[in-house]
Amino acid sequence: MAEFTIIGKPIAMVDAAGKTTGAGKYTDDLSLPGMLIGKILHSPCPHARIKRIDTRRAKALDGVVAVVTGADAPKTYGILPVGHDETALAVDKVRYVGDNVACVTAVDEATAENALELIDVEYEVLPAYFDPEESMKAETDLIHEGKPHNIEKDYHHVFGDPEKAFREADYVAEGRFIANEVTHAAMEPHSTLASFELDPHTGNLGRLTVWSSTQVPYYLQHKLSLVLEMPMSQIRVIKPLVGGGFGGKSEVIPLEIIAAVAARAARAPVKVTYTREEVFWAHRGRPRTIVDLKTAVKNDGRITAVKARVVQDGGAYCSYGVVTILYSGALLGALYDIPNIQYDGYRVLTNKPACGAMRGHGTVNVRFAFESQLDEISAKLGIDPAEIRRRNLLKPPCITINGLRVQSYGLPESIEQVVERSGWKQRKGKLSKGRGLGLGCSHYVSGAANSIIRSDMPHSTVNIKIDRDGGVVVYTGASEIGQGSDTMTAQIAAEVLGCSLARVKVVAADTDLTPIDIGSYSSRVTFMAGNATLRAAEQVREQIASAAARKMNCAIEDLVFGDDKVARQGLAGGSGTGEAPVPTQPGATASGRVEGQILRGSLQQKRTEEGPKDRMSFEEAVVAAIDFHGALTGTGSYAPPAEARGGKHKGAGVGPSPAYSYSAQVAEVSVDEDTGEVTVHKVWAAHDCGRALNPVAVEGQIIGSVWMGLGQALQEEMVWKDGMLMNPGLLEYRSPSAVESPKIEPIIIESIDPEGPFGAKECSEGSLAATIPAIANAIYDAVGIRLHESPFTPERVLAALRAKKNAKAINMTQGVDPLAPTRFREHGGSLCFRGKGPERHRLDPARRETAGEAGGDD
Amino acid sequence: MIPANFDYESPRTLSEALDLLASRQDAKILAGGHSLLPAMKLRLAAPSVVVDLGRIAGLNHIRESGDRIVIGAMTPHADVASSKILHVACPLLAQAASQIGDVQVRNRGTIGGSLAAAHPAADYPAAVLALDAEIMAVSRSGERSLPATKFFTGMFTTELRPDEIITEVRVPRTEGASVAYKKFHHPASGYAVVGVAVRIKKAGTRIDSAAISITGVGHIAYRATAVENALRGKPLGVIAEAAAHAAEGVEVLSDYYASAEYRRHLATVFTRRALEQALEASGK
Repeated sequence: MAEFTIIGKPIAMVDAAGKTTGAGKYTDDLSLPGMLIGKILHSPCPHARIKRIDTRRAKALDGVVAVVTGADAPKTYGILPVGHDETALAVDKVRYVGDNVACVTAVDEATAENALELIDVEYEVLPAYFDPEESMKAETDLIHEGKPHNIEKDYHHVFGDPEKAFREADYVAEGRFIANEVTHAAMEPHSTLASFELDPHTGNLGRLTVWSSTQVPYYLQHKLSLVLEMPMSQIRVIKPLVGGGFGGKSEVIPLEIIAAVAARAARAPVKVTYTREEVFWAHRGRPRTIVDLKTAVKNDGRITAVKARVVQDGGAYCSYGVVTILYSGALLGALYDIPNIQYDGYRVLTNKPACGAMRGHGTVNVRFAFESQLDEISAKLGIDPAEIRRRNLLKPPCITINGLRVQSYGLPESIEQVVERSGWKQRKGKLSKGRGLGLGCSHYVSGAANSIIRSDMPHSTVNIKIDRDGGVVVYTGASEIGQGSDTMTAQIAAEVLGCSLARVKVVAADTDLTPIDIGSYSSRVTFMAGNATLRAAEQVREQIASAAARKMNCAIEDLVFGDDKVARQGLAGGSGTGEAPVPTQPGATASGRVEGQILRGSLQQKRTEEGPKDRMSFEEAVVAAIDFHGALTGTGSYAPPAEARGGKHKGAGVGPSPAYSYSAQVAEVSVDEDTGEVTVHKVWAAHDCGRALNPVAVEGQIIGSVWMGLGQALQEEMVWKDGMLMNPGLLEYRSPSAVESPKIEPIIIESIDPEGPFGAKECSEGSLAATIPAIANAIYDAVGIRLHESPFTPERVLAALRAKKNAKAINMTQGVDPLAPTRFREHGGSLCFRGKGPERHRLDPARRETAGEAGGDD
Repeated sequence: MIPANFDYESPRTLSEALDLLASRQDAKILAGGHSLLPAMKLRLAAPSVVVDLGRIAGLNHIRESGDRIVIGAMTPHADVASSKILHVACPLLAQAASQIGDVQVRNRGTIGGSLAAAHPAADYPAAVLALDAEIMAVSRSGERSLPATKFFTGMFTTELRPDEIITEVRVPRTEGASVAYKKFHHPASGYAVVGVAVRIKKAGTRIDSAAISITGVGHIAYRATAVENALRGKPLGVIAEAAAHAAEGVEVLSDYYASAEYRRHLATVFTRRALEQALEASGK
């Protein structure tokens, strides 16, 4: 294995000092002279027509500068090109309790808050829809025009021949699983500060600068341009420190547009910061999902087919919904070898806050269902849960039946590691009463191979500039949101350039300065921005190398970069003793241009004293390169390769990724059979991240994922009553913290991906989806109950325990036949895709042998 | 999430505080603030003046006084939880205090503030009921003693008059009795979904007397007299049977976290567990 000096080392986050001392600045810490505070008036009705808004009383209040409503910016937008259904503030209709109606800007928060009470709105209340399966029956009072039956989008995919596989199966498991709605609960509430400059020629409002807590500065710039009808070049978006995103800041959130619209009306800088309750209303979390799942197996445990019907309660706007429902189907593939797949997905609109992307986007709830059902099957067939998974492994390199290319695949080793470390073989089924072990696996994309806005533009571009004193500045659009983006960037640049990390300064996420990067979501940053950084650094290194080679009078290939030096191969040593052999060609000067340049005395002197040599300090080499090339800059970009971009069927764009991460987890739990309380004692969490660029950061991401999975498994749930959120605060909605953390043993698996930067893949999302089924399966091992609805609250667990005691069979499918969702087909939607599946991977040996039989199995 | 305007007063003496309460009709007392400040931020409460008792000397103490232990109204939960006097003479109160909220809440919240707030799921009400504590209150018209069993009148309401301030809580010494406080924590708020305080006296292998009170289940914490009656004079083996009466005759609360049926069940389970723990502790 290659030796690295900075890659693979546990390195403190480069922005840690500011965050830990409080010196770091988040958006809400910022203020500008003359800045006003914006407060938003929210709808009290889940679905209503706005008959009249009268803002006169509010405007008349002392200290109020402007009040804006939907009429001030009626253009629609949305994160997806197919989902432009939002406006900055409600135009004609409100669609959920908390929808945005008006915004007051005032000299202070108290005045703005008081003014909200002076806005008179007359609503005509409309029938509202809260349950997705009810909403799908709607004929009238639709939530959006042009969305019949309130269905945002439905997809029907068939790969292989599932019907045949089900007919020929030895055993078929089926069941309904429900995962209730959860939200990100990032520590930092959303905040946006918007400020216009005056145009020097006209005195009118000119350029707009927006500081915002966002994962996607470039999408924000794009949507602001759309709604404000300004060119993108007139808008600058800057991302200060962000206190956690988890997907909740991965699209344009209403306040970001509202702050800009309000600043335009007030002709003054405006800051809007959400209260925690507003964060819950802005939401964009994981939808309540109903999964009807059916799995066909042979007696030896091999899975032959899967059918899934998935209904997502998407809330009032599209948001990322179309992508979410596609991920739910696409990621049925690429974990195990499943030769036949049928997927029917429905993204449904309801009168609740919009759901969007949340850590493990689209895959988590279906994975809970799948891994639970696989555990049922293993119990039924008498095959150990770890063994049944081994029997269904993919054989990479390969392309799955639904078009996903898999190259590096650390799932087998992940399973072995958690089985080994948890003492699975000796302890499973043998623990004391009420205590058990459970296994769950998962996977996730390392960025989407196709961007939201289809184009050939690279997904990440990075510029590097090196100063005369050897200071390296990396300009990247990638957004540090706490996950370590800036640190990863600095590490890669320093490793490639062979310089110390302290030389590298990362300038990130400022649309005026940094080249385009589409944002921090779908776990794409390390893979894509990392690769772009790698390429930019290599380009700069080439320039340094060519200058250094001339100075040293050697071939470029003979040079090695490392330890803040550039040296001839075989002479680097790294020890810097200075006892290198005397140069053999004393007469050869590399360049006459050195003379007359302004150099620091010592350097210049050193250089004139010595002839060609065998090593140069990084600083010397940089100066030499700048002397040859002028500015020392490099650019690198990354676009996913064509082979990784998936099939051609409708919806094929979502799911493909250049590389997938793999996870396996074992949870050890105990269940209090009197109260139904579940305690998780330990989680062994193995994650294949390709290569751990920074192991301590990877471990942090694994632990964080387990915590978030733990929350969804045991206690997090958004509870609704007539469209009202019953727990819109952290006193009612609890995410696990260090206090209730079980022991977590993160295990890093390195499969070294052929295309990842230094072999790295994603590490921030994939683990989450394994935690929930691992806990569910451990509960089964402990007390013999199957939980089909998350979270596994004490009351639900107790109900299941009682049902078991009374030996009453609970039919969780409640008469729904997941095989024949004909009731929903009549709504139309996209065409059913039937095909044999894509071609096999070019490196797949089976491709040559059975060219015509693209079955997907061996 | 910001309160309406209000005046802030921090009197140095009790009599100044009492004058303020008497002169300002809608004054509110600040004694920890965990109930008052959230209510103000949500504008569920909008007092014209907040009277902070934090700077009045002589309200923060725990001392022995004859057969009673006296706890000053401004004593924080953390001090009650760690009090050596209470650990010996009245461990039930310390146990209850140690299970309130989280560390920050226990360092800031006070016993007087908690009792006056009368939250239906607070821990102290159960403890003071089981202990037959006395709550001392003063106003400009004098001091009076309110027995805990008559103190709580409903959800967030008590016998206190608007011009009165709690000065201290008096609890009996319980040496010789078996006590325990058991609680099912709400995962987010830390309040009791169910909290049970027990104080029982044994006579040989029988139960001589029992005081059992339960919080979180009804609109106010209550004495579970049906359980007490089922235990009195009975052998120790009847615990599980007696605990089944825990929510008898109570209108049980229901919310999104725990249905009435589940709460009723938990009341029984935690009553049994509290009784078992008390007996186990005293058996050592």
